[in-house]
Amino acid sequence: MSLPSATTPAGETLAINVTVNGTLLSLNVEPRHSLADVIREDISLTGTHLGCEHGVCGACTILLDGEPSRACLMLGVQADGADVVTIEGLANNDGTMHPVQQAMYEAMSFQCAFCTPGFLMSTIALLRDNPSPSEVEIREGLSGNLCRCTGYQSIVDGVETAIRLIASNSAGIDPVGEPT
Amino acid sequence: MTDIPDRQTSGLGFVGQRVKRVEDERFLIGEGQFVADLNPKGVLHAAFLRSPFAHATLNSIDVSTAAALPGVARVFTAAELNAVTNSFPPLFMIEGLYTPLYKCMSEDKVRHIGDPVALVLAESRYIAEDALELIEVEYHELQATGTIDQALAPGREQLWDRADGNILGDISADFGDVATIFADADRVITRTFNCPRQTNQPMETRGSVVIVDPATGHLEIHNTSQAPHFLKWAVAGLLVNDGAFRNLSRFARNKDRRKAFSAAAKAFVSTNKQKLLEQDPAGQKSQMKKDMSFLRAQARMAMGLLASNDYPTVKAGDIGGAFGSKGSVSREDIALAAAARQLGTSVQWIEDRVENLLDGGQAREERFTVSLAVDNDGTLKGMKVDAVLDGGAYASFPVSAAVTVLLWKLYMPGPYDFKAFELNAKIVATNKGKVVPYRGPWANETWMRERMLDVVAKELDISAADIRLKNVIREENMPAAFLTGPTLDETMSVAKTLDRALEMVDFDQLEQDKAAAEARGHRLGLGISSYHEAAPGPPNFFSSAQPGSDMFLHEDGRAEIQADGRIVMYTSQSPHGQSHQTTYKQVAADEFGVAMEDIEIVWGDTDRTQFSFLGTGASRGGPLGAGVMRMTARELRNQVVKVAADMLEAAKEDIEIVNGNIHVVGVPTRGTTYADVAAKVASDQAVSTGPVFKEEMKYEGVGNGGWSVATHIAWVDIDLETGQVEIPRYLVVEDCGPIINPGIVDGQVRGGVAQGIGAVFYERHHYDDNANLLSTTYMDYLIPTAMEIPKIEIEHMETLTKGENDARGVGEGGMIGAPAALTNAVSDALGVDVLEQHLPPYRLLELAGIISS
Repeated sequence: MSLPSATTPAGETLAINVTVNGTLLSLNVEPRHSLADVIREDISLTGTHLGCEHGVCGACTILLDGEPSRACLMLGVQADGADVVTIEGLANNDGTMHPVQQAMYEAMSFQCAFCTPGFLMSTIALLRDNPSPSEVEIREGLSGNLCRCTGYQSIVDGVETAIRLIASNSAGIDPVGEPT
Repeated sequence: MTDIPDRQTSGLGFVGQRVKRVEDERFLIGEGQFVADLNPKGVLHAAFLRSPFAHATLNSIDVSTAAALPGVARVFTAAELNAVTNSFPPLFMIEGLYTPLYKCMSEDKVRHIGDPVALVLAESRYIAEDALELIEVEYHELQATGTIDQALAPGREQLWDRADGNILGDISADFGDVATIFADADRVITRTFNCPRQTNQPMETRGSVVIVDPATGHLEIHNTSQAPHFLKWAVAGLLVNDGAFRNLSRFARNKDRRKAFSAAAKAFVSTNKQKLLEQDPAGQKSQMKKDMSFLRAQARMAMGLLASNDYPTVKAGDIGGAFGSKGSVSREDIALAAAARQLGTSVQWIEDRVENLLDGGQAREERFTVSLAVDNDGTLKGMKVDAVLDGGAYASFPVSAAVTVLLWKLYMPGPYDFKAFELNAKIVATNKGKVVPYRGPWANETWMRERMLDVVAKELDISAADIRLKNVIREENMPAAFLTGPTLDETMSVAKTLDRALEMVDFDQLEQDKAAAEARGHRLGLGISSYHEAAPGPPNFFSSAQPGSDMFLHEDGRAEIQADGRIVMYTSQSPHGQSHQTTYKQVAADEFGVAMEDIEIVWGDTDRTQFSFLGTGASRGGPLGAGVMRMTARELRNQVVKVAADMLEAAKEDIEIVNGNIHVVGVPTRGTTYADVAAKVASDQAVSTGPVFKEEMKYEGVGNGGWSVATHIAWVDIDLETGQVEIPRYLVVEDCGPIINPGIVDGQVRGGVAQGIGAVFYERHHYDDNANLLSTTYMDYLIPTAMEIPKIEIEHMETLTKGENDARGVGEGGMIGAPAALTNAVSDALGVDVLEQHLPPYRLLELAGIISS
């Protein structure tokens, strides 16, 4: 990832290449636009939500080169050359849900679901790095995401359901972000 | 309502099952439609310039540089928008209360940090925010009022010229012979309790997208509203401001409008004759003593409504939580609609989190001095409460802080057999953000009362369990008129939840655990709280608070079967996380005997659903919203069965419907379907589209009780070295009647408890003494994470009542019970009186005597 060095006057754009959910996109983005705004407005993927825009609530969490990242704390131009996965990139091409989505469905994890995209991304990263976390590890792994509705138990249940689903799935947790 | 078979479920029986959420089918793949997702092409983005001062007069404002910035379409000053909008008039008027009127923007004076003074509309939010920095405002700072003590003190700068200092309301009520009861009791115990400010903080902020039809000027407002119908009427009434004469003449010339108005007025008066007669003018008189201008404001609003044929359409799509904060009509909603109408261009405002913390809705900053008259054996006899509510700067519209006081009046004695009760409540104005209902808006009465019971128990040397068991009203004494008016119903008994909860505690083990905690340098304590809540309450609940106030509180329903056999149910609710779509499909599918996917639920669109004053709130979605679903579905099914019986040449009593197969009992192979029946009726009526069966209903409510009841018990472990707390066990025993969907109900209970845990240990919306807001980010306002919220153990009682629809509301209870159980546990752990609700680590260490305060 490289930072564009040129300063640009207001309204001017910089060209970036970014892979989003498996598709390579060439975009002209305003240098000051956040990655979240680029995703939501320039690419029209509105599944990534903005809850606080200062990096605490985690609703805008995406996978950037595989790592959960706050899309509100990055500029779009910083994603030049990166691989981005959003909630829209999780389901398989045939429409079946990713095991983490399926598990959250089974566990009735969410209520208003505004926080959902962030929790899905954090869960995927957590289970990729630690396929069988303890309850404490799950709670710690999700502690960068705020939910105001559920009291978290149903989300923890969802992660535990996902662990079982993934263990019974020969493909494991990957891949996410196949081209659509 | 004849011909209704005595059955509530079909063979499929979705009700009561843990049916997976229909909503998740779109949410989990990122296809929810939240207001910020709309982002229509060409829309102008709004940003409000907000006051950096808590209290100041505005000397001048210059927007010329901002307006000239490339990409800026228009900058409106407050004066410009106020000139084309009416004042927000008070709607709830109570004896002893004065509610100041206010406009959508502040042009002469600002009254809290974040008060809007100008509105920029630009091609992007980025440019709009650039422009904000180019607006020059000259303020003259005034003394600000930041605390309840300051607000009560005489001689300070007033927020509102006509108020008595900064006191807006002085409201009293008494029940029973208070003087005698207090004189005769063995002793009177008094304490003062304080709760600091909290804020609702849904994960989605407020937002409004106003789309203007270029041909007609019609406004379509997509909004995060819990009450879209009320917003529609508010915009229609507050926007049109052409002058009384012009409005009246327009109305007089408009024959259709005149006819429609007089028909609606007649129908309203005849339906509500009794309730209109019951109205008490004392509230209006109190308001008139201070300020007659509300009459003009109401008249202008009415004129506006009469003059216009074209009311806006309001649509609420998916909403990312609210907890009461999105029920009010925001000043920004009105400013934005006015701007859209002025420009003839679509505009949108998506609130950011800092704005939401400044004025997105705040609550619960209250003080109670409570005296309990008790006998030495622990018998509770009388309660006297002096309460003060910090109402902030502007009254939220329509449900203001005054409604909390009305509810205190009904609730404060709780489920206990007090013989006398007196409340003296003051509402004060401070230079802070507006107070809105927050999940169980009255809840501090439960906190204060349950905390006080433990204080009394300790003083009398009896246990926290025993004082409750001794005084809780038992079902053998019901149904009874409660001390404060509403009817208590024997089928929903707090005592039963208390008995059961206590059964689930091993008190011997508790003593061992306390000793073990002490050995580790910790302290462990247990706290109990019990309460009942009107969810939605018995038929006389709201009229007990304010005579005739239940006039607007029925829940209307409509259901149709289309010519192609599709079943469409319309709800006036505006869901924002409560899973209405799932539960309503469960209820309707059972009535119709079809699969859930055969039912379509329509919500949130004022062009398609029926009027509702409150929308979603006040624990109405289960009992009233689902209740009217059930009843309209049943009527509609009945209509279908009549036609099907003819088609099958059978008696309608012999028809059953299983899996959508309408057949004579025992002969499923010779059945018909909704599609076939609908097709036959369509053909008979020579129509090919539209509804062929239709049912509309005004639904007054549930049967005899309407109470939800619960007992919470919390175990709190405090580390005396760090002040950190753990909650090793949290138990809720609750009774909300038969559960429609346990997965959803459990989520509501846990979510409410989590907010209570937040309130006690983490969240404080912190203004300093000069009313500067210190918690303007989530680094300062701490919402608990998965690390802080424990597993919540829930035991359901599911008592059947005598009502037609037994389901009770369950959304608010968790938050009502939790602060009391937790602070009682802390008091038990540390052996001290806990007199405040917010207990962060440093405060726990102060209470424990580890550090000095």
